[in-house]
Amino acid sequence: MDRFRIPTSLDGPIVGLLILIVWETGVRIGGVPAYLLPPPSAIAQRLFTDWDQLLYHFAATTLEVVIGFVLAIVVSIPLAALLAQIRIFERMLYPVLVASQTIPKVAIAPLLVVWFGFGLMPKVLIAFLICFFPIVVDSLVGFRSAPKEVSWLARSMGASRWQTFVNFQVPAALPHIFAGVKVASTLAIVGAIVGEFVAADRGLGYQLIVANGALDVTLSFTVLVVLSLMGVALFALVDRVERWALPWHVSQRLKHGGSP
Amino acid sequence: MTAAALALTEVGKIYRTASGPVQALDGIDFRIAEGEFLSILGPSGCGKSTLLSLASGLEFPTSGTVEQAGRRIDRPVTDIGIVFQTDVLLDWRRVLDNVMIQPQIRGLDLKAYEQKARDLLALVGLAGFEDKYPYELSGGMRQRVSICRALIHNPPLLLMDEPFGALDALTREQMVMELHQLWLRERKSVMFVTHDIQEAILLAQRVLVMTPRPGRIAEIVEVDLPFPRRPETMESRRFVEIVAHVRHLFERHGVLKKY
Ligand SMILES: Nc1ncnc2c1ncn2[C@@H]1O[C@H](COP(=O)(O)OP(=O)(O)OP(=O)(O)O)[C@@H](O)[C@H]1O
Ligand SMILES: [Mg+2]
Repeated sequence: MDRFRIPTSLDGPIVGLLILIVWETGVRIGGVPAYLLPPPSAIAQRLFTDWDQLLYHFAATTLEVVIGFVLAIVVSIPLAALLAQIRIFERMLYPVLVASQTIPKVAIAPLLVVWFGFGLMPKVLIAFLICFFPIVVDSLVGFRSAPKEVSWLARSMGASRWQTFVNFQVPAALPHIFAGVKVASTLAIVGAIVGEFVAADRGLGYQLIVANGALDVTLSFTVLVVLSLMGVALFALVDRVERWALPWHVSQRLKHGGSP
Repeated sequence: MTAAALALTEVGKIYRTASGPVQALDGIDFRIAEGEFLSILGPSGCGKSTLLSLASGLEFPTSGTVEQAGRRIDRPVTDIGIVFQTDVLLDWRRVLDNVMIQPQIRGLDLKAYEQKARDLLALVGLAGFEDKYPYELSGGMRQRVSICRALIHNPPLLLMDEPFGALDALTREQMVMELHQLWLRERKSVMFVTHDIQEAILLAQRVLVMTPRPGRIAEIVEVDLPFPRRPETMESRRFVEIVAHVRHLFERHGVLKKY
């Protein structure tokens, strides 16, 4: 017998829709005032009426996020590759990296503002600093992930150091690198918002502070929705690139029942 | 006397581990002549894989020397073909590209070798699988790809570590025969590691029987069976005698129990 089955690609949207329905009816039936918890319909309406404002701040935050994120990728991966090649570098630098990571980024945000002013720079830097660590750590694991036999194989073929790096180390590292980049993609937005909280005249973080100050809870929620959409989009983008770049890895992961 | 393809002299290997030193090999002394097929037969953990890593210069003995064509090995040897115990396929390369990594790294003519790679894959029964990724293959198919990779650059010395371990009995017999034919044709020097008594004897001119840990040589058994060998050879009286002799050796060293 052929039973009707919901396509797995719709699992997420269906759950989301259910939450929205429960939320909307709950707020309406319970008579929760909009200044505490606005219904989804009010948020949707706000999204529609304030779209130009939202877009302006969205663009500002996106710029910070993207620059910080890309910068972190461009710096972290080569750094991890270098650390993986040269043992003494790892021994000297890795403890410093770990130690620096224990400093909360939120705590140094005000300092960065003092150093770099109110513009783009401090936000980009915070986004960069937050993204940097997970990418370095995962990439380093990745560059070291090839088992002993793989490096034996390379040596038995007389592979040069560069050949070994390009043909064996890098491909083996890519799944780990993507894992780190995915984590970083969600953190980048956190970084930019933290920066905007401290000092800014634009961006979704700034808009959130303004909305809070005016007790405009509906606007706060609307900004949060935009932020989460941004996060999902960035994550999905990285996921897409991974699927394209590592078909062998993604399909293997799916086969073994892991989450996509 | 001509230089042996491979010569081990009084080789010992001790691994230093967190829980103290492990003597993997002790007093290993043998040579493989140019064009000879030598089987290494021994129980699990007796140091067969260790022997292979020493013979290929991927690890170095704690005592004694390893020589190839008269030269002492002090770095990884490149003019050999190795089939590791695990298939060591590169997950990100398709089957054909996994075989082609060999000529690619060595800077050989890729056009010419691609045809050779396809022929080899067909020989081991993998025609039509050239564009699959390793995760789409069974364990036995993966190991066959790694055999092709070890053969494609036509090395004079082949080191094989239980290459047919992951195969079913039928495919196994077929692969054993293919390897035998290949050896008869090309007369490579082969060091063939296995824990299968029949397989070791059927393929080899001599069988090096090892004792359990620490791995020592129990005896090097001459296999005076005529060539070419066939599956029927296993039913011959002489073959059965040699098998009995090897079993007896294992009983004496406590590997096999007497019933
Ligand atoms: N890198 C290593 N470090 C420490 N001990 C090792 C190492 N490699 C092997 N050994 C030890 O050396 C011994 C021989 O191992 P080896 O892998 O050579 O056995 P083997 O004969 O190939 O066994 P199998 O038939 O199961 O593959 C074992 O006791 C093993 O624990
Ligand atoms: Mg072994």
